[in-house]
Amino acid sequence: MPYLNITEVESALTSLATAYPTTSHLLTLPEPSIEGRTAHALQIGAPAGTPRACVMMIGGVHAREWGSCEILVHLAADLLEAHQNGTGLGYGGTTFTADQVGGLLQRLDLVFFPLVNPDGRLHSQTVDPMWRKNRDPANSGGSADPNCVGVDLNRNYDFLFDFATAFAPTATPQVSASPCDPQVYAGPSAFSEPETRNVRWLLDQYPRTGWFVDVHSYSEDMLYNWGDDDNQSIDPTMNFGNAQYDGKRGLPGDVAYAEYIPKTDADNAALLAERFCQGVGGVRGRPYKPLTGFHLYPTSGTSDDYVFSRHFVDGDQGKVLGFTVEWGTAFHPPWAEMRNIVLDVDAGLVAFCLATT
Amino acid sequence: MSAPSPTPPRHDILRLRVTAKDADTLLALLRETRPDTGGRPHVEPDGRISIDAYVPDDRVAGLEREGVSVTRIGNASEAGRAAQAEVGTGDRFAPADAVPHGLAAKLAG
Repeated sequence: MPYLNITEVESALTSLATAYPTTSHLLTLPEPSIEGRTAHALQIGAPAGTPRACVMMIGGVHAREWGSCEILVHLAADLLEAHQNGTGLGYGGTTFTADQVGGLLQRLDLVFFPLVNPDGRLHSQTVDPMWRKNRDPANSGGSADPNCVGVDLNRNYDFLFDFATAFAPTATPQVSASPCDPQVYAGPSAFSEPETRNVRWLLDQYPRTGWFVDVHSYSEDMLYNWGDDDNQSIDPTMNFGNAQYDGKRGLPGDVAYAEYIPKTDADNAALLAERFCQGVGGVRGRPYKPLTGFHLYPTSGTSDDYVFSRHFVDGDQGKVLGFTVEWGTAFHPPWAEMRNIVLDVDAGLVAFCLATT
Repeated sequence: MSAPSPTPPRHDILRLRVTAKDADTLLALLRETRPDTGGRPHVEPDGRISIDAYVPDDRVAGLEREGVSVTRIGNASEAGRAAQAEVGTGDRFAPADAVPHGLAAKLAG
């Protein structure tokens, strides 16, 4: 079975929703992509009378990281089929019992949004395989340079979006304000893109979301908050919202700034990332590592830090721990290897979900 | 009327392993050349630090400097084009009974 094209990602979700009407629900995202494509998400869970905690998983954000969509579509399919038939799941050496699968779908809503950036995936799969951004031409200024099309969606969320102010002059954030940056243009403003607004909308629909996983490639890591600087759990005033620290963020190992994370959150995030990696490792021994998102250089505008920051910006918002999977060791592994990676990562995600409390 | 100028051919993107003698040297390189990076920085057993960079073949020389070694891993454009041949055509889930099954083994009990 080769990689899914963009039609197939969407039809896979529709097909699952049709086949499992009591345990899944198809959601239509409100904003079409720049090229007019409507995206869908799939909520799965056993019928429940009361709201449940939710794990949200998104993929297909960076166009060239194709396998992210397959990871989420196959995971949803595995869970729905196993739940319906009362079976467990086997991913190589990592296995889950029928009781574990059943318990998962009783306890949690799982929301899968496997293809956030359909225009970009189409371009990558048919024109330029290394394409990363969406296909928004609005900021190109009429330039004929093909690099001037598109925004890096995982720099477009509202977290330290004004990176030039937030970070130290000597920091090396992987982000750009230049519309013609071929990879990491953040866009003219936070949430300028329909694709990121769709993710925000989905979060707003599930206020009981406690965990958010954005599936990317590559490096065989499971990243958790924060990505803008080292973590610290001592000084709550030293945080992303405090302008006093503008110009000081983003340097590794210094004392000028480290991002505040409550110790219980740091411990929980580290534990969940570790459980994910253990689940992966049991399949065929791939050594995924749990790490914070900050490692040598900072990031801004990413989904994982945005979802976690919402609670600190607005105390009425539930707390959402943010994670980024970086699967594999290449953007486009041959399908025979991608199939193995799907098994690795899906085992890790089931282990991750089981560890949520 | 003159013929329109042809679009210049795009250079292939090479996958390179850039290894610096230390973190400061790598950060300086990333700041100055802003290459497309893949994966995360990796600390070698001898303390050097490396990262994958994706660079058009005509820009590889721009990465080379004191304290930095550049190794060609492969041709990313070529690998991508090969992968494009593995993308599905049509819609394998269009038939009413064509439901995705996932890749896990379904284990009794």
